[in-house]
Amino acid sequence: MSRLGHQLERFGLLLVWLAVIALFGAMRPDTFLSWSNFSSIFGSEAVLVIVTLGLIIPLTAGDFDLSIAQTLTFVSMLTALLSARMGVELGYVIPIALAAGACVGLVNGAITLYFRVHSLIVTLGVGTFLHGVTLWMSDSQTISGVSRALMQYVIINRIAGIPISFYYAIALAALVWYLLSYTAFGQQLLFTGRGRDVGRLTGVAVGRVRMSAFVASGVLGAIAGILYTGTTGSANPTSGTTLLLPAFAAAFLGATCIKPGRFNAWGSVIAVYFLVTGINGLSVLGFRTYVHDLFYGGALVVAVMISQLVSGRKERVL
Amino acid sequence: MIGTPAPRLKLNGLTKSFGGVHALSRADLAVMPGEIHGLLGKNGSGKSTLIKILSGFHKPDEGSLEIDGKPISLPIPLGGSEKIGLSFVHQNLGLLAEATVLENLIAGDHERVNSWFIDWNAEAKRAKLLFDRTHLSLDPWAIVGDLSPVKRAQLAIVRAVDRISSHNEHASPGLLVLDEPTPFLPMEDVRELFAMMRRLKDAGVSIIFVSHDIDEVLAITDRATVLRDGHVIDSFDTAQTDRAHIVEAIVGRAVAQERLVGDTPPAKGAGAEVTGLSGKTVSALSIDVAPGEILGLTGLIGSGYDEVLYLLAGALHARSGRLKMGENTHELAGMTPAAAIAAGIVFIPADRQKLGLALDLSLTENAMLPMAARGDDCLFLRHGAREATTAALMRQFGVKAEAPRQAASELSGGNQQKLLLGKWLQLSPSLILLDEPTQGIDVGARREIYERLLATCAQGAAVICATSEFEQLEMIAHRVLVFERGRVKAELIGSQVTKSAIEAACYGESRVHAPA
Repeated sequence: MSRLGHQLERFGLLLVWLAVIALFGAMRPDTFLSWSNFSSIFGSEAVLVIVTLGLIIPLTAGDFDLSIAQTLTFVSMLTALLSARMGVELGYVIPIALAAGACVGLVNGAITLYFRVHSLIVTLGVGTFLHGVTLWMSDSQTISGVSRALMQYVIINRIAGIPISFYYAIALAALVWYLLSYTAFGQQLLFTGRGRDVGRLTGVAVGRVRMSAFVASGVLGAIAGILYTGTTGSANPTSGTTLLLPAFAAAFLGATCIKPGRFNAWGSVIAVYFLVTGINGLSVLGFRTYVHDLFYGGALVVAVMISQLVSGRKERVL
Repeated sequence: MIGTPAPRLKLNGLTKSFGGVHALSRADLAVMPGEIHGLLGKNGSGKSTLIKILSGFHKPDEGSLEIDGKPISLPIPLGGSEKIGLSFVHQNLGLLAEATVLENLIAGDHERVNSWFIDWNAEAKRAKLLFDRTHLSLDPWAIVGDLSPVKRAQLAIVRAVDRISSHNEHASPGLLVLDEPTPFLPMEDVRELFAMMRRLKDAGVSIIFVSHDIDEVLAITDRATVLRDGHVIDSFDTAQTDRAHIVEAIVGRAVAQERLVGDTPPAKGAGAEVTGLSGKTVSALSIDVAPGEILGLTGLIGSGYDEVLYLLAGALHARSGRLKMGENTHELAGMTPAAAIAAGIVFIPADRQKLGLALDLSLTENAMLPMAARGDDCLFLRHGAREATTAALMRQFGVKAEAPRQAASELSGGNQQKLLLGKWLQLSPSLILLDEPTQGIDVGARREIYERLLATCAQGAAVICATSEFEQLEMIAHRVLVFERGRVKAELIGSQVTKSAIEAACYGESRVHAPA
């Protein structure tokens, strides 16, 4: 492939995103193209960015974590209950919430590895179970009255007009990018996913690597959960669960750009913002909520089709 | 000829070439009704091509086929062999382990079984009758995975016979092709299988029995045909033939290979010493290899010679065994790949595509994996240095490729293998384990790989090379161990290591195995 073609492939999604912005901007210059609209997109979708980052770590190791959105909801509820109902200091709430996320990852990993069950099934079950726990402990109610300090550090404080949660997401993306691209662990993850036996025979402890990936995913889900509570100052027992499909769509769409053929952090960030820009633009044009499902579902299918085309060209099977 | 029935199967002048190379040339074969006919030959002798023509997989260039005296037009349509009374049992048996005996029995039998409604009770009754007729005690509802290996083999055979009887349009007992059904069976099971074959023979079924094992062919067949390099070398009555004649027919006269190693193996020293190694096939094995020595392991399929490497490398779990290297002793029952690598052992498996390389990752990533697995530079990989090291390895090992960033899938087999050698030899190992190191590699690349190995040996590494290519051992092995049923059957040292001697040892009188 030519050098230009290669660069086009790497930055294709970024260009499409800019084109989408230009299109909606031309149609609704006043409402869509305003800074307040964009800063709210950047801030509120930071949670989705983090969930997507959480997905790509086990995906790189060849495992699915379908429980991540439920982990988010569970941790979000846990945070709200501890802070609003029990009056626990934020300094304790956050470590407890992160530990809860890590525990979910440990359970996912332990069942997947010990019983050799496909992670798809394990995390589907664990996620549903967690959702039950969330509904039970919240009595299916929205819990509000969370410490204002949390909102302060998530959504109220702004840098250059964008809520601070956006910068958390970017910092985590940088961390995941570093982890996948510049550490020996990143290489171990990659071989665990793409050549598990090759890795095993070369001394990679593939079981430990997969376990670490599940725990990392659980912790990122928990961080997303804390921010989710901080964004609204309350926790809703169901709304977070709808983030699973958009996150998968973004993860697979992100794997078609920046480092085509691989799940990668910056590709995921671009994919998330491309998707939410599209949805935001369509809502501004007056389409109703059904476009969410049309857009996310369509994007997921198109993304996996593109990645199959890419892999077909390189004569390989993902 | 009056009074003589027509042969069940008669092949005349069968010829097939692939890209100008004759896999079969003007081969004739005749099998009489109720005859067990052995088909012998080395790998690549044309046996599989002949069988694949019979199963309709290949279209012959020339040749004709008659069954019970009636001409059959070639090629046989794929899946149409049962209609003319031919059925096949391949080495892997073609059974689904998770399914029941009954499900396996009727799988694919679309024409007899109503595809809209399967009457399972009627099918079970039919299966019981079939098993009774063939003296096979099997529960139709048992799971195939729970059966013993010999029961599975018998089920596959009964299924094949059943297909002939329900599909053959010529109302004859038909012909069964058994393609190496025995190499993984213990002796007493082979006897049981032979008993079943004799009962089928008495019922008029003809059998083509493909095997590497001359003892088995002598024990069970009426006649046998030997193929070599695509030609029928000989066809004979088994009862009037001896082993020496068969071995010579299979092997032919050996052409001496150029030996690249000296005739005196390096003096015994602090290399590697294995004692009491037991795995799946291998049992109570003791071997040793000296620094600078290339030890060859070989044998027929299923003899366990290649398993040794997997056990030493920690790729398969050993039941027991101890490995002494210098001052250190390793318990092989608890060996892991990481521990083996740390002990200075490297292992290059035969399956490059699955076990050797992650094909869609780059050359650099593949070549630098041992370091990443160990956790070198774990907090900051220097990509520039990794690529430079890989480029240097590629030069050193003669890997022809565009750039270290290329995907490993884009390399030829020979270059992939050279990259793998580079990946492992950069660790300066003291014990190198090679499984079929030149499989699917052209002559030029082979030569380069041999030279690289010899250079590494000269620096004091010990090499164990498992291969079924005897020429290769003649060229590079100081010493060769020939395996049979998990044990060492013969040892050849220095100038004794010749292709013909290895062949004679492989096919020679068995010390540990005597079928009924």
